[in-house]
Amino acid sequence: MSNNGNGKEPILSIRGLKKTYMQGRIPVHALDGVNLDVKKGELISIVGPSGSGKSTLLSMIGLLDRPTEGSVFIEGKEITDAKESEAPRIRREKIGFVFQHFNLLHTLTALENVDIAMRFSGVSRSKRKIRAFELLSSIGLGDRVNHRPSELSGGQQQRVAIARAMANNPAIILADEPTGAVDTKTREVIVSVLKELSRKGQTIIVVTHDMAVAEQTDRIITMRDGRIESDTGVDMK
Amino acid sequence: MLDLIVRSLTQRKMRTGLTIFGIALGIFAVVVMGGMSEHLNMTYDKSIKLLAADIMVQPDGSGTLDETKIRQIKRVPGVKDAYGVLYTSLDPEKSGGGFDPGDFVSGVLPEKQIKDLKLISGRYLVPGDEYKAVIGSSIARKFNLKVGDELEIKNKRKKGSSSISHTRNVTVVGIQEYSGTMFDSSVNIPLDAAQKFYKMENTVSMIYAEPAPGTDSSLLAKRIDLSVEKVKSRSPEQLRKDIEGELVFFSLITISAAVLAAIIGGLSVMNTMLMSVSERTKEFGLLKALGAERKSILFMTMGEAALMGMIGGIAGIAGGWILVHFLNISFEAQGSALFSITPRIVVIGLIFATVLGMICGTYPAYRATKMSPMEALRYE
Repeated sequence: MSNNGNGKEPILSIRGLKKTYMQGRIPVHALDGVNLDVKKGELISIVGPSGSGKSTLLSMIGLLDRPTEGSVFIEGKEITDAKESEAPRIRREKIGFVFQHFNLLHTLTALENVDIAMRFSGVSRSKRKIRAFELLSSIGLGDRVNHRPSELSGGQQQRVAIARAMANNPAIILADEPTGAVDTKTREVIVSVLKELSRKGQTIIVVTHDMAVAEQTDRIITMRDGRIESDTGVDMK
Repeated sequence: MLDLIVRSLTQRKMRTGLTIFGIALGIFAVVVMGGMSEHLNMTYDKSIKLLAADIMVQPDGSGTLDETKIRQIKRVPGVKDAYGVLYTSLDPEKSGGGFDPGDFVSGVLPEKQIKDLKLISGRYLVPGDEYKAVIGSSIARKFNLKVGDELEIKNKRKKGSSSISHTRNVTVVGIQEYSGTMFDSSVNIPLDAAQKFYKMENTVSMIYAEPAPGTDSSLLAKRIDLSVEKVKSRSPEQLRKDIEGELVFFSLITISAAVLAAIIGGLSVMNTMLMSVSERTKEFGLLKALGAERKSILFMTMGEAALMGMIGGIAGIAGGWILVHFLNISFEAQGSALFSITPRIVVIGLIFATVLGMICGTYPAYRATKMSPMEALRYE
């Protein structure tokens, strides 16, 4: 199931990535020279203690924040030098987000929550409906499409969020503690959904505290003090 | 996108309802006040049109004019004819104030009656009529008069500390159709009868000068002022300008009070939207993370504000319309209508409400676009 190390062009490349925040007058190096290559279809987990830079790295890849130095390439194209006006389009086309607290819109049904991700890409209403229904059905929520988040369990809500992340066929799915707010049983369901997607060729990067989740991924990257401390993918080489 | 806007507004029904109510109250005030001002405008406009091209000559200052002035004016080159009219209040105790001339008696030469005002029954005054009257439609309705009925006119004059008043009846010979002018409130009797009854022999309130064909009325008005002493002449254009000037002032007072009310409504939109935006930090951050453009978020937020403004506007116009409708019915029973809700007022009210909503939604919308997508990522 692992696709790494087979010589394919990486879908994500990170080169010399640095991010320095000023905390008052003291510079904090949240990222301190990160280099990373990710191949298509890989399911990667990033682990490490709080403040090690995992979430910062994720927001750089997702173009939610800009690095101080270094570059991020997705499918060979540098996104770190993209203009602010291009950022929404890149986020739409290249990235799908999954959050710890699902972040579904409470006023919308499961179907509409998936649908909304495609609105900004200009997909027609009927196509959106079909695609949203297909996505929800494929992760076992075909009978829940008209339920609102409040009528769904935590695991179901997170699956809706995953379907939403998949909606625009992104190059990479970024999942920030996707199992952080659910119980152990639900965690297994979510991890198996992610593994299934990865098997179908979807690249997924998961930030997690939970080693039980990390151990089920193809590759574990451990971060400490803004650097990559270990990378099982590299170790395997 | 509209469905999302509606969804978001209906999600917070109480708050949305109160905000819309605030806007509606403001627009209600705009419509009612504006309707009053429109009605005045229209009344004066139509009244001036009825006077055709005649130059209006009034005493310079207050008081009345001696009839000898008529002969002097007739001698001014360019004047085809001139005639006097005596205006008095129908009931001196209840004379109209401000812009409402109230019911009035006008002493006119039978041959100089405004024939553009058609009669719905009876006849015009003819030479030889004495205490006969042609009355305006509002007078007829107010006193419930038909041709042949009698109407009492009153003369009240101060003499020392007491006042003597005497009355007499005039016979209605004709009733004018409704014209939407101040002549609807007129009781027209022959000039000589009026002068006799009011003890104002050889006196008129105003002289109308008809310019000869091809004469510029503004120039003629100036010429009359120079040739005849102690008069002030106004051409129809000048009259229109003067009245408009006064009406603008009146409109300004009424409309600005109403606009103030509407702006307060607008501020409540802004308040609601700011609250709503700060509550939805996560939502806007999420939408950005999903790749929403700034303009989509602006559209959603401003759309919400504009929609509240528009609904408030429609409700305010409807409310104003209903109130004005019933007020007019009750005013018409005792005379003339007071308000005119013109299409112009409706359009202005609606656009004003919507634009107000949008403007007041601009800042909250700007705040919404500023929401960092990082906020959505942050843990609860």
